[in-house]
Amino acid sequence: MSSRDATVRGATGASTRPPLAPGDRDVDASRGRDSERGALSIVNIAKTYGGSARPVLDGIRLDIGAGEFVSLIGPSGCGKTTLLRIVAGLLRPSEGTVELDGRPSLEPSREKGVVFQHFNLFPWRKTIANTAYGPELQGVSRPEREETARRFLAMVGLSGYEEHYPAQISGGMKQRVGIARALAIEPKVLLMDEPFGALDALTREYLQRELERITRSERLTTLFVTHSLDEALFLSDRIVVMGARPGRVLAVFDVPFGRPRAQNDIRSDPSYAELRKRLWDLLEGELARAATEAPGQETGA
Amino acid sequence: MRRMRETRRRVGENVLLAGFLVIVLSVWELAGRGNPRVLSYPSQIATSAWELIVVENKVLPALLATVEGLAYGFVIAAVLGIVVGFAMGRIRLVELVLYPYAIALYATPRIALVPLLVLWFGIDLELRVVVVVLSAVFPIMINTYNGARQVDPAYLDAAAAFAATPWQTLRTVVMPASVPYVFAGLRVGMVRALVGVVVAEMTASVVGTGRLIIELGAFFQTGRLLVPVMVLGVLGVVLSVGMAKAQTLAAPWAMREGR
Repeated sequence: MSSRDATVRGATGASTRPPLAPGDRDVDASRGRDSERGALSIVNIAKTYGGSARPVLDGIRLDIGAGEFVSLIGPSGCGKTTLLRIVAGLLRPSEGTVELDGRPSLEPSREKGVVFQHFNLFPWRKTIANTAYGPELQGVSRPEREETARRFLAMVGLSGYEEHYPAQISGGMKQRVGIARALAIEPKVLLMDEPFGALDALTREYLQRELERITRSERLTTLFVTHSLDEALFLSDRIVVMGARPGRVLAVFDVPFGRPRAQNDIRSDPSYAELRKRLWDLLEGELARAATEAPGQETGA
Repeated sequence: MRRMRETRRRVGENVLLAGFLVIVLSVWELAGRGNPRVLSYPSQIATSAWELIVVENKVLPALLATVEGLAYGFVIAAVLGIVVGFAMGRIRLVELVLYPYAIALYATPRIALVPLLVLWFGIDLELRVVVVVLSAVFPIMINTYNGARQVDPAYLDAAAAFAATPWQTLRTVVMPASVPYVFAGLRVGMVRALVGVVVAEMTASVVGTGRLIIELGAFFQTGRLLVPVMVLGVLGVVLSVGMAKAQTLAAPWAMREGR
């Protein structure tokens, strides 16, 4: 693992880490230690769509440490997808900026890997060519990028499916390809927009575990949009609860469970139920408020 | 068990097809023998086919002339239609300038231009090629244009997220995504091209399958006249099957659905 880490990340220091023990606050321990590895700052982001007086997002501030897993959760229309697209560089903010390791990062770049809700795989590319897409754009030679693609397909458990077209594999497998494609550019930051939202419950739970394993072993900074409290609780180091109209941060919760995590273990933890209730109470109030207001500006959600 | 049932169904379908064919030919034969000048009939057509194709060897040279015009014209039309179609679909300025002409010419029956084209190009190969180009280029162009414009934003998003340059986006997303549209245009263009070349030969030519039909018709040789018509029918089928094959080769993924 450690030798692959070194090749994958191309980073120094990562391979000298001791093996992980259950309960080890692995991510917290690495936070701030390696400032070159994907510390993300969202600085006073506001977004107003042309012609609309009401902002979709207003005054969003969020600092995400290197290797930290942060979830965005909130009612429809709170702008969490809009925020993710701004961080990805797919959308320009009206105000504010995004910084990656202290440098402005408002454009898409090879440091940011994006995973989409509906996979957005290219149907005309086989699994391996979909995965190798990023390196291909960067001019990496075919043998080299296919080697990279194979490695990341293996990481997401898709060895043997290299020659399949997206139409020939299941939804869960498509999203594994989506994740492998994002990982194959060896980004510092992984940006995921409800990646498991289009999958059935069992596949979803299985992929959550896979993602927990991968982001932990790759030490990836991850910003993760979700509608699911349990998903957020299982995966995150911190959960950001957003409110709607305008989209803004209501509260940030620390998730105290150690890693590696297993869904069943943390759910039986007494603090799980308590934390879940606190999150739910906050969201419920926001949902009730959203339900009584006239709908509008649903665009960015 | 399942395969056996499948086989039996196939055999049944083929028996039905063959039976219907026998009925059609028999009725035609009987009706035709009553009015040979007007209808002709299958056995007479078969005899004429032997005479025309083998004994007199009139069909093959005519067919070659037709295919020659078709081949040159279609290749030119395909290249021109695809290039201009993509340019109109992706470059606003080109669209603004060219699209009105493309759509106006697409709607005009280009066959009506044949008399004018005869004045410009004479009645040889050039005429056939020009008529084929004019017949085929607009369906190819308009379909390619639509394909280039209607690329699913999901794919463009993915390309943007991976920091693709405009040229990379064109090459890796717009072009492959348009392939089904381009082939739809090529298929329509091929049919139009065939019609175009035959009409050109019928109205102004000394060679070609269309010319042969006119000659035979002038002598009221109904049975013989139907031979080149049937040859054209076979050519049309071969070309469209070939086109479908080319599409499966060029875009195997397009046969399936989904992202």
